[in-house]
Amino acid sequence: MRDFKGMVYPYIIWSFALIVMPMLMIVIYAFTKEGNSVMNVRFTLENFAYFFKDKVFVDVLRRSLMIAVITTVVCILLGYPVAYVIARLKPSSQMLMVLIITLPTWINMLVRTYALRGILDKTGVVNSILGLFGIGPIKLLETPFAVVLGMVYNFVPFMILQVYNSLCKMDYSYIEAANDLGADNVQSFFRVTLPLSLPGVISGIALVFLPAVSSFFIPRLLGGGQYMLIGNVIENQFLITGNWGFGSAISLIMSVIIVLAMYLTRYVDKKVSVKGGND
Amino acid sequence: MKKLFAVILGAALMVSGCGGTNDEARQAAVEKYGSDTLKLFNWGEYIGEDVISDFEEEFGVDVICEYYDSNEAMYTKLQAGDKYDVLVPSDYMIERLIREDMLQPIDKSVMTNIGNIVPEIMDLEFDPGNVYSIPYFYGNVGLVYNKNNVSLDDLEAEGYNILKDTKYKGSVYIYDSERDAFMVALKALGYSMNTDNEEEINEAYNWLMELNDTMEPSYVLDEVIDAMANGNKDIAVVYSGDAAFILSENPDMGYFEPKEGTNSWTDSMVIPKNAENPKLANEFINWYIQYDPSYAGSEEIGYTSSNAEVVADLSGEGGAYYQNEAYIPRTGYEKDEIFRDNEVLRAKLSELYAKVKAE
Repeated sequence: MRDFKGMVYPYIIWSFALIVMPMLMIVIYAFTKEGNSVMNVRFTLENFAYFFKDKVFVDVLRRSLMIAVITTVVCILLGYPVAYVIARLKPSSQMLMVLIITLPTWINMLVRTYALRGILDKTGVVNSILGLFGIGPIKLLETPFAVVLGMVYNFVPFMILQVYNSLCKMDYSYIEAANDLGADNVQSFFRVTLPLSLPGVISGIALVFLPAVSSFFIPRLLGGGQYMLIGNVIENQFLITGNWGFGSAISLIMSVIIVLAMYLTRYVDKKVSVKGGND
Repeated sequence: MKKLFAVILGAALMVSGCGGTNDEARQAAVEKYGSDTLKLFNWGEYIGEDVISDFEEEFGVDVICEYYDSNEAMYTKLQAGDKYDVLVPSDYMIERLIREDMLQPIDKSVMTNIGNIVPEIMDLEFDPGNVYSIPYFYGNVGLVYNKNNVSLDDLEAEGYNILKDTKYKGSVYIYDSERDAFMVALKALGYSMNTDNEEEINEAYNWLMELNDTMEPSYVLDEVIDAMANGNKDIAVVYSGDAAFILSENPDMGYFEPKEGTNSWTDSMVIPKNAENPKLANEFINWYIQYDPSYAGSEEIGYTSSNAEVVADLSGEGGAYYQNEAYIPRTGYEKDEIFRDNEVLRAKLSELYAKVKAE
């Protein structure tokens, strides 16, 4: 093993340059402002005060979190059954299904989101088909529905794959054992399968929630720009106003919230799995 | 003006207009211009298809293209120390770059084609005497409307306030940039769009908030082009160049320049102070304002060329933009203004716009 120890150094350098340094920069920017001629920078909490002083930014943050939570819940409700069905297929079909699920992710996310615009448009595919039956046109684009649809469409493969992986690793004889001990299918699902697949759901949540909360082009393209999300505010601070301090402060607040959210899900996960195991 | 889609796609592919330039031509170029590479930093989807490869062939050089989707994004990269030879920013950004001493003067001895430029867009207040900039495209901002659903009489009578006419509730697109949104509001109220009077700005803010409350407007960027070409909504605030394209795609659409005045803008080519190949940059600028390269871009994209002959041909009988109201923007109207760089206003608008959008 000793011979391979050296191989970790490139990774340490890599992660320092690309993870630790940028995070440090954000922290430094968030807590400082330009000072006078004696001191170049000085410590300040102004950026944070500005964020919480005005309920506008807090509202934006709340809306971003709301949309991300709804997206995550829908992804679980849609993704779990799909993953469950795939995991029950015979191995060769499983390969094919996984391929089909991942296929859309080969195409750039932005292109796919643009395509959704064309589908939901007033003159788009959905409304044309509805028109044949004399319905509509219905306003689909530029609604909250379109935003959630776009997010779910883009992120649901991550959920499916995570859950599928954990279901695959599960030993099927546990369920047979449960059945032998008198559990019916529903019971064995809730007592055995679900607790064992929870780690997959948890990492699925991480993979869906994080991009959903910070995504800014999906709400912009599909929501008609009526819903400014926290990602847009941060982008504006850096690109338009040039207020890097405030932008960094918002990023930092976001990071704290996300870390807390992740911690919470892991905590719940532990509780539930332990409980499931003891029952 | 902003082609987010093209920019991201371009960045993803790292497109560079690499033509197969042979070694001899390269050698000659190095001797003549001191370099065989030009770095062009331009708006996404803002140049004719074969223009870059034509230039490469003619001069025996390579052109490396990078794209941005806002003046501010360009400025951020430039400030971070990235080196480019030619940029194409808008008026107010050029003013800022000049003030911050980030540009170098154009070599007028190279500019043999400068006589081609439309006279109305020369010698403007952001760069008197065109010391630093040579115009590329110009235009203004106006209203694209569906002629079947919106009456011209209403437009004439109400101007920008038609955006608040509840008859058109739910069918209004606003351009999603703080400068353009506030330009509309300030002009609708009869103020200058370059005001730094706090009361006037607050009034404009209230105007936009009222619009949000009563009209359910959509705030869009480039999506407006397809959306209006498909006839999704009835009225949209649009850049004239995009409007020209929309009108050529959908004959139901018209272009209206409100009497309250609008933003007249010019995007011009400039050379940053830290450019590595200023000699070749000057050659490129002078080459671009010729007929052929200017024609290709303007015909394809719909933005009004700075080359007077191109404008005349494209808007004349048989041209691609014959009888297209948006292709020749209004010039010389006293209530039309050019954006000026104003730091106080910029910070104030950004703060207020966040609130407008968050509601």
